[in-house]
Amino acid sequence: MARDARRLSRRQFAFLGTQAVGAVVTLLLGIPIVGFILSPLFHRQQVVWRQVGDISGVPDRQPTKFEVSFPLGEWTNANVNLAVYVVKTNSNYLVFSNVCTHMQCPVRWQADLGQFLCPCHGGLYDISGKNIGGPPPKPLPQYVHRIDGTTLFIQNSFTESI
Amino acid sequence: MNALAVIWPALHRLASELPSSAPQGRNIIGAQIAIGSLFSIHILIAGLVSGAAELGPAIEFLGYMRQRRNYDRLAHGLGRFITLYFSVSSTIAILLITVLLVGFWGHFWTTIVTIAWWPLFIEAWTFVLQVSLAYLWYYTWDPLRGFKGVHMAIGGLLAIASFLQVYMIDVVASYMLTPTDPQNPIRLVLNPTSYPLTVHRTVGNLAYVGFVIGAFCAIRFLRARKPEDKVFYDWAGSFGLLWGISLTLLQPVVGYSYAKEIQLHAYSSWYKMMFGTLSPWFLWQITLLGIMFLTATLYFARRLRTNGARGAGLLKAMAVGLVLTTLLAAQPYHLGLTYDAVAGAGLNRPFWDGGLINPLGSMIPWKVLALMFYTLIAIAAVVWYLRGLPGVVWGAARRGEQRLLMLMAVLTILMMVTMGFIRENSRAPFLISGEMTIQGQQNVQPTVSPSPSGGG
Amino acid sequence: MGRIAAVYDWLDERAAIRSLVRKGLYEAVPVRGAWFYTLGSATLVLILLQLVTGIFLTLLYVPSVTEAWASLNYLKQHDAFGSIVRGIHLWSAYILLFVIGLHMVRTFFSGSYKRPRELNWVTGVGLFVLVLGMAITGAFLPWDQAAYWTAVVVTNIPAYTPFIGSFIRALWRGGDFVGPITLSRTFGIHVWLIPAILFPLILAHLALLRKHGEFGSYINYRGAYRSREGVDVPPAPAERPIEPPYPAVPTDELWAAPLQTEDFFPFQTFKDGLVSVVLVIVVFALAVAIGAPLEAIADPSTTSYTPVPQWFFLPLDELLLLVPQQLIPLVLVLPTGGVLLLLALPFIDRSPERNPFERPAVMVPGAFAVLFVVILTLLGSGRLFNL
Repeated sequence: MARDARRLSRRQFAFLGTQAVGAVVTLLLGIPIVGFILSPLFHRQQVVWRQVGDISGVPDRQPTKFEVSFPLGEWTNANVNLAVYVVKTNSNYLVFSNVCTHMQCPVRWQADLGQFLCPCHGGLYDISGKNIGGPPPKPLPQYVHRIDGTTLFIQNSFTESI
Repeated sequence: MNALAVIWPALHRLASELPSSAPQGRNIIGAQIAIGSLFSIHILIAGLVSGAAELGPAIEFLGYMRQRRNYDRLAHGLGRFITLYFSVSSTIAILLITVLLVGFWGHFWTTIVTIAWWPLFIEAWTFVLQVSLAYLWYYTWDPLRGFKGVHMAIGGLLAIASFLQVYMIDVVASYMLTPTDPQNPIRLVLNPTSYPLTVHRTVGNLAYVGFVIGAFCAIRFLRARKPEDKVFYDWAGSFGLLWGISLTLLQPVVGYSYAKEIQLHAYSSWYKMMFGTLSPWFLWQITLLGIMFLTATLYFARRLRTNGARGAGLLKAMAVGLVLTTLLAAQPYHLGLTYDAVAGAGLNRPFWDGGLINPLGSMIPWKVLALMFYTLIAIAAVVWYLRGLPGVVWGAARRGEQRLLMLMAVLTILMMVTMGFIRENSRAPFLISGEMTIQGQQNVQPTVSPSPSGGG
Repeated sequence: MGRIAAVYDWLDERAAIRSLVRKGLYEAVPVRGAWFYTLGSATLVLILLQLVTGIFLTLLYVPSVTEAWASLNYLKQHDAFGSIVRGIHLWSAYILLFVIGLHMVRTFFSGSYKRPRELNWVTGVGLFVLVLGMAITGAFLPWDQAAYWTAVVVTNIPAYTPFIGSFIRALWRGGDFVGPITLSRTFGIHVWLIPAILFPLILAHLALLRKHGEFGSYINYRGAYRSREGVDVPPAPAERPIEPPYPAVPTDELWAAPLQTEDFFPFQTFKDGLVSVVLVIVVFALAVAIGAPLEAIADPSTTSYTPVPQWFFLPLDELLLLVPQQLIPLVLVLPTGGVLLLLALPFIDRSPERNPFERPAVMVPGAFAVLFVVILTLLGSGRLFNL
């Protein structure tokens, strides 16, 4: 039986139909799923101000640790404690977090060394937060903060992202 | 002229200059020269003996698996070497320990023996094992030909005894640099630098004996008359070099971590090595390592070229790469005598600012990169040589290759002496870091007095 | 006996079980070196152990930042049997990674990745990466101090990728900081996503093994093999019994089929079973004696806690410790490059030689890589003990 060259055969039609159905299903599933996976890139985390406390008693050149409570996430009422190191140098206040800029391990002030030490890989920061030893590539991060009189407030975000 | 008339007054004069009993820390320069030079000689022979005791059984095993006679002949030669030279090395060691260390630095040595009693006790017994097994291994070679498994087991035990011996003495040597709580035996043995030092030394000993095999076989090749001897020595020289270079390639990793542990636990020693008075020697060491890799690559390229085997061209390119990276590694950080002099003259600025600071010379990250690069190139060179080996006809080497092998052994000896010098001086003036100095040996004298019950 | 045979026939007519049983149990396996082949089945047994204990742990564990630690703490305090299950889950994971390492080294040394088994190797490398992913993601779940800081450091590693690094980190963490989304995502990955890929890949790996037969080791082919030096080894016998699964038309005359084979059941299954049961007993003993530790609840504000990596992370952590900060991206390229090299191995080394002592050009770099990892692990283990 002579077949018109422009017309699709049954086989070709079924083949193309299967492909089309596959494409539709992939798109219907794929777009929401990929969008869901990528969603944290588009949703900014909640940034709030919290009060740290009265910093008038902080001694000169001696980092003092405060713990501040911040909301853990948007669907829970729970809070998380963040550590804040307040350093006073010549009536200038520096407000550091304890997040190391190498691998984000918890940094601590070592009074005997006179430096901040990261225990994971031996990173060292001096009292002004500058990275002076070991692998950390950047200085100790500072929180966005404001001082009202003698009360310190911080935001749960850094002045420079790490 | 009566010889006695000249010699006798000189002897008399000498006798009046020398101390009547052990100096005990009074003659510091003399002590350092005597102990330092004898230790260097001891290490150069003992390292060879330890390495041979570990490498020989490994070569015998490989020869058994590959069914090759020449491996067996080489291992047999190493066994012969051990039996011939063990006593030389031990004699120097005994002289060092029982006479020189006790005589010059008695307080130090008594302290060490008290603290590291068990490691030293175990080490003494590993020596007994080593000697008996080494002689057994060598002399039962032919009788146990039909029982190769037993013979290789003896060799394996010899290698283990040798490794344990090195480990135990390294506990002492590392304790001197990074002491820990002496009451805790686990902490004593696992002090921060004991493990890196042991791996570094074991790998180093094995590499050293590989290079010495290369040089020895090079000399023998040039003097051999029989064709089967020429074939053997040509092959054995290449084989020794391959082992030596392959093991040396591990050293940058272990050495770097050794230096890191020293930085963490003996900071002043580390500073002296990297930035202080010993840093020129350290610079020489990193350059020497690059030259060693270069020499080996040149040998590989030449040896393949001699037989027209494939791969010689790429190896020459690798040699060029090695030259460039070694030049990078050899850059001094500052171009004055000492950093203090440079800083004092106000010249601690980059050279484009009119100063003497050379940014390409700082260890981090340039020299680290250079070190990684030339290690990678050398690994590639070894692999390329191995790929080209099927095209090589043993016995046909030219003189140039053999000279390169001899040069390798000389470079290795230079490297070992440099490293020993750096290590011992980095700890100076301490014998035990932070706790006991060389000068302090003077303050403790053994008491020699008549017994209280009355002598008469 | 007649009734059982009748039932068997009934099932065979409907489900073709006779050929299934024959294929499963009576396949040919090389005779010599069989104890080395038990490593593969030991890996499978330990993975199945993980699957079972993991499923039962989900009957209690809650993947929420406020309840994860509390649920596991409840288990630890009040449920001795549950604690043992959790202990088995942890120690089986540690031993599994070690056994996988041994299995890979054995396969590398015996040249079992060569034609026609390249795909087997490639799926194996995929399995290795997935199991490593399981170990890493599983470590986040308890949400104690160890888990929290592992989560912080591990999710920070991809941040060093140029350009897209901080995006990858944000995707995994669900934001800039580790929080509830991190735990939920990691739990989903650990319990569903990776296993959904892992188990079909295991089936593919086993199917490929069955297709070509266990290669074994060159010692099973000695006699068919003449060394390069012309060492006296008798040439191949004219008629060699080549049975399935070994291909009837040999791709390579020398290495097609081993000289002597025996049935998988009961010879190899006995050896497999013995090694597996010893490993399971060891896991059980460790689970009872030491168990799975649970530290204090996660506290980001700590200034006294020292995070310590899991043992299989020690090589990478040692490199991070040794290397200056300008070279960190280089260090992080190493594992990626290593995995890519592993995947490419059967396509780089295409020579038919199987004897490890006769192919130094492959063995020397391989030995280097293994020694490099082992030395770094040992160097790092000092930190585990010197704390």
